[in-house]
Amino acid sequence: MKTRKITSEEREKAFKQPRKPEVIEKQKLDVRYHIEDFEVEDRPRRFLEAFAAILKHTNYRLALDHYIRMSAKCSRCATNCQVYQATGDLRDIPCYRSELLLSVYRRHFTLGGMLKGRALGTGHLTDEKIQEMADSFWDCTACRRCAMECPSGIDHGLITHLGRFILSEIGIAPRALVVSTREQLEGATGNTSAIPVPALVDTLEFLEEDMFEEKSVEIKFPMDVEGADYVFFPAVSDFLMEAETLMGIAAVFTATGDSWTTGTGYFDGINYGLFYSDRMLERVVKKVDAETRRLKGKNILIGECGHASRSAKYFIPTYCGGDDAYPVINIMEYTHRVWKEGRLKLDPNVVTEKVAYHDPCNIARQRWIIEKPRELLKAFCKNYVEMTPYGDENICCGGGGGTVSIDEIRPYRTTIGGKLKADQIRKSGCEILVAPCANCKKQLRELVEDQGIDCEVVGLHDLIYKAIIFDESMVEKKEEESVNIEDKE
Amino acid sequence: MESLLDFARGPLFRFSFAVMILGLARILFLDLYNAYQAYRRAGDRNIPWGLVIKRSLEWLFPVRRVFHNRPVYSIFSILFHVGLLLVPIFLYAHVRLWKDAVGINWLTLPYEVAYGLTVSTIVFGAALFIGRVISKSSSFLSRKQDYLWPIVLLIPFITGFVCAHLGVGSRLYNTMMLIHVLAGNFIFILIPFTKIAHCVLMPLSQFISTLAWKFPPETDDAICITLNKKGAPV
Ligand code: SF4
Repeated sequence: MKTRKITSEEREKAFKQPRKPEVIEKQKLDVRYHIEDFEVEDRPRRFLEAFAAILKHTNYRLALDHYIRMSAKCSRCATNCQVYQATGDLRDIPCYRSELLLSVYRRHFTLGGMLKGRALGTGHLTDEKIQEMADSFWDCTACRRCAMECPSGIDHGLITHLGRFILSEIGIAPRALVVSTREQLEGATGNTSAIPVPALVDTLEFLEEDMFEEKSVEIKFPMDVEGADYVFFPAVSDFLMEAETLMGIAAVFTATGDSWTTGTGYFDGINYGLFYSDRMLERVVKKVDAETRRLKGKNILIGECGHASRSAKYFIPTYCGGDDAYPVINIMEYTHRVWKEGRLKLDPNVVTEKVAYHDPCNIARQRWIIEKPRELLKAFCKNYVEMTPYGDENICCGGGGGTVSIDEIRPYRTTIGGKLKADQIRKSGCEILVAPCANCKKQLRELVEDQGIDCEVVGLHDLIYKAIIFDESMVEKKEEESVNIEDKE
Repeated sequence: MESLLDFARGPLFRFSFAVMILGLARILFLDLYNAYQAYRRAGDRNIPWGLVIKRSLEWLFPVRRVFHNRPVYSIFSILFHVGLLLVPIFLYAHVRLWKDAVGINWLTLPYEVAYGLTVSTIVFGAALFIGRVISKSSSFLSRKQDYLWPIVLLIPFITGFVCAHLGVGSRLYNTMMLIHVLAGNFIFILIPFTKIAHCVLMPLSQFISTLAWKFPPETDDAICITLNKKGAPV
């Protein structure tokens, strides 16, 4: 699928600089996302020091060595990048983006490169080059779709990931992500949305009342239950913004009767470390692991969120015990399983609109969960349409790689990053777009709004909440109880 | 000329061939050694082998991929690679040289097939070169070696074709043959040090890209210590 290049008006809108000139001057860095003040002197040296430290303690050398030998510069990746398609700017070709960092590696960390560089006196890392990387790595949504088209098997998303990590070590990282992560790791509330526990408890009680009114069933959000089968970590922003998704999840557990819990010690699945720093990635997953341990839970259950799911699924084993780590599952896997087992009933007459499903890159690219949500949707949505390409070839919402949380680049995200997705949504003609990811949902809502597409963006469990059928006995319970109360009175 | 040709076909060939084999063995070894180290250090050692193998095969035998994106370019590239691999290895004249020298023998291409493949390799190689020059995206990315390789690779094909199929006089034949052998030797020497190394590294790519996401545990602390950031705020 292809999209057209943006017009010059769109370009102007997308690349509007949201930062004040004096800040740019002071920070000596002309990027479009806000950055907290950092040391500006001697950046190239510090960049190289950070790069060296990271290489020393990680596995990145493996990929870098392989890639510098392999890269054939065929430009095939260009055909798959939604950013390049929209901007038409040759510097947005994934292979060029990767070369920014690969050239630093070749020049400063390989023998041949060092000798050649010294002999010719060329290739020094400069402030300009750092500027280019700081720009380029945050223009990329780290969706890794380009890797699917690279005959040499180069994962440009991995290079973006590493590039951002090194930059963050010298203080260049979007303020939005850093501030949230600081609150999560060091703040009083311990989560990215800064929700205090009493507010969380209030919110959930309020939702429980709401659900009782709507469904006449006692649907609970169990808190701090020890020994539960599933300890639940949604994107914490769901507690503020995605009530329907959470209600759907609670409803499923009520229907099945399985034990699950949210821990008041830690309840945030978000992990911006995946987007800008492996060090933060490690710290955050360790919090998830610690809370599960505290509650003596059996499984880690991640809510509807792509990056939260990927960080837990792939990095809990990495940082928290390998094969002995807690099993991680995504809520869609659970719901699909209980539905297959016949423990979840869905009414096929409730959702009549045209529904499409959007694959979050972090869930689908490695073919983790693709068909399960589709099977569920097709089972109760009368009018399901597919957007192609999908699955591991899906098109990114345009807010991937943490860029969705950077509010100041919304015009960029909805004009460039999400342009191809907008075309795809329009083409499908869907009225409801299901996106089981907090980030995708935020981005897609902004996208349809800015692009003038008439379509509602919801989570998978929002629809399940609408369609769920409870056992008669559960519904009657409420009436019986109210009769009992009346009797007592 | 004759003695020069003998030298190029004899000691020089043995030397360049050895450079190629040893060079490729070295980078293959380094790659595998890096992979072993990475695997050993990784906190999570689950490799989704099914997916890795599937994606590797898809690129080694890129049939499904062909019509996916840039079909013309892809078909040209595939046909170019087919000739590039088959002709040098299975050409009757080459196989006979091996047989005479070391006594090993293998299948050879029928004359017509060799003829067709040589021509197609030359045509598609030239087309790829032109494509690289005129495509905005390719030329933007291209380094010197990306332009030079198609030309260098075509020299032995063109000269070989002249010698084998055009029935030229002995003087021209010898000149062409000398260029043919020298170019071949030159290519052998360059292979391990340039992007053509992908001829041995390519099968490992998907595996390496997958393994590269398997990070070692406890890197936060280690990096903090190295960078003197222990205890620094987030
Ligand atoms: S990861 Fe996605 S956005 Fe980034 S270069 Fe590749 S295709 Fe483009």
